[in-house]
Amino acid sequence: MLKIQRNPNVMWREESDALADAQVGLDRGDDIEEVGTAVLFSGGAMLSINLLGTEIWKLCDGRNMDGIVKELFEQFDVQEEVLRADVQAFLEDLLKKGFITHEE
Amino acid sequence: MKNEIMLEAPITINWAINNSCNFACRHCYSRNDTHDELARDVLFSCIEKVAKAGVLSINFGGGEPLLHPYLLDIASFASGLGLRVSMNSNGWLIDAPMAATLKAAGFTKIGISIDSHLPETHDSFRGMPGSHARAVAALGHISAVGIATSISTVICRINNASVKDLVSFALDNRAGQINFHNFKCSGLGLSNKDELDLSPEEWKVFYRSALAAKEREKGIDVSLDDPIIALLGARDTSSMVKGSVCGKLSLNIKSNGDITPCGFIPVVIGNISTDDLRQVWRESTVLDRMRNKKPTGKCSGCSKYEDCLGGCTARALALTGDMNNPDPHCWGTEGSESESQ
Ligand code: SF4
Repeated sequence: MLKIQRNPNVMWREESDALADAQVGLDRGDDIEEVGTAVLFSGGAMLSINLLGTEIWKLCDGRNMDGIVKELFEQFDVQEEVLRADVQAFLEDLLKKGFITHEE
Repeated sequence: MKNEIMLEAPITINWAINNSCNFACRHCYSRNDTHDELARDVLFSCIEKVAKAGVLSINFGGGEPLLHPYLLDIASFASGLGLRVSMNSNGWLIDAPMAATLKAAGFTKIGISIDSHLPETHDSFRGMPGSHARAVAALGHISAVGIATSISTVICRINNASVKDLVSFALDNRAGQINFHNFKCSGLGLSNKDELDLSPEEWKVFYRSALAAKEREKGIDVSLDDPIIALLGARDTSSMVKGSVCGKLSLNIKSNGDITPCGFIPVVIGNISTDDLRQVWRESTVLDRMRNKKPTGKCSGCSKYEDCLGGCTARALALTGDMNNPDPHCWGTEGSESESQ
């Protein structure tokens, strides 16, 4: 299975206040899908991503898709198929935009 | 998973580390600015402060940054803290050994200012015979050591009709990018505006041809930083902030540590040696106004306002005194629709 790696040219940062807000919201059971918690920046392109996106992004360290899903499954209270579909869609978007690379 | 976000700190600092220069360019915005410079130890602690605040990259400029006595030490220190370090230079001082030294100091990208593909035009504009040849040589030395190169060209009357030639020139010199900077009307740019700036109609013609080159040339990134290209239906709305990036992604720091929203807006909102960067970023009323511009005049009825936000804030402020006024370069008329490419 392909190893997923962050493109080293991408600059990125977690936003600590937003992250804390998202964490509080999550614990309260709020919908935090729209809360941006990290920002990725590459040349002219900028992407702001939510808590799940941020966790996926941080796991793009050479693991494969199964490894990422397994790790997140332990953190998030969500069905595995739903999680897998979300992770896959997000990674496809990142790949298309050049934020991650695939390696054999 | 894409969301709106209010950044807690700038992504990039444009740091005009000095204002001294070995050239005498007619469009310079900084040569007549303050010549006070931060002491070495203060500069180091300011770099540390910037890194701690969460800034991701510093682009050194000036003046000519290579004339600063500690640039290399400062850059090494910044890159050692994990900051991405780049610079804009006129290239005069970059020979092969200097390029290797810059690489060792951690520079990942260097922009060389070149105003024309024609050596004699560039040299006379910059007041420095032989400067074109040295700028071209610098590009070669920089890419030879593996630093990304770009060419920075401020568009004005001497080069507005030369888009094709400039792009071919950049390709011939294997630059990764050519940046067509809009003419800002600050500093000497303002004093020499009548002689150098284009009319709105001429800006339209220029941007049409620059956008066509961007579309056509796949071997180079043709970069345009002007929000008014929204009027040609060209802004990639999904990936960048709307309007000017100044005060939304970046800030400017002057040689004496003063913080301004961008290099072309002479409004001091703090000083890096004495103020907290995140606090300035969060609480500055000037930044707040820049981030929440209100359409006035023809912008009120413009279908592109959402993307353009009235164009370049610095230019509106410099020429009209009000940052909310329509960008004086805008060729749109009341209620004008965009034209697509
Ligand atoms: S009218 Fe205003 S919003 Fe519209 S393109 Fe011109 S400057 Fe931009």
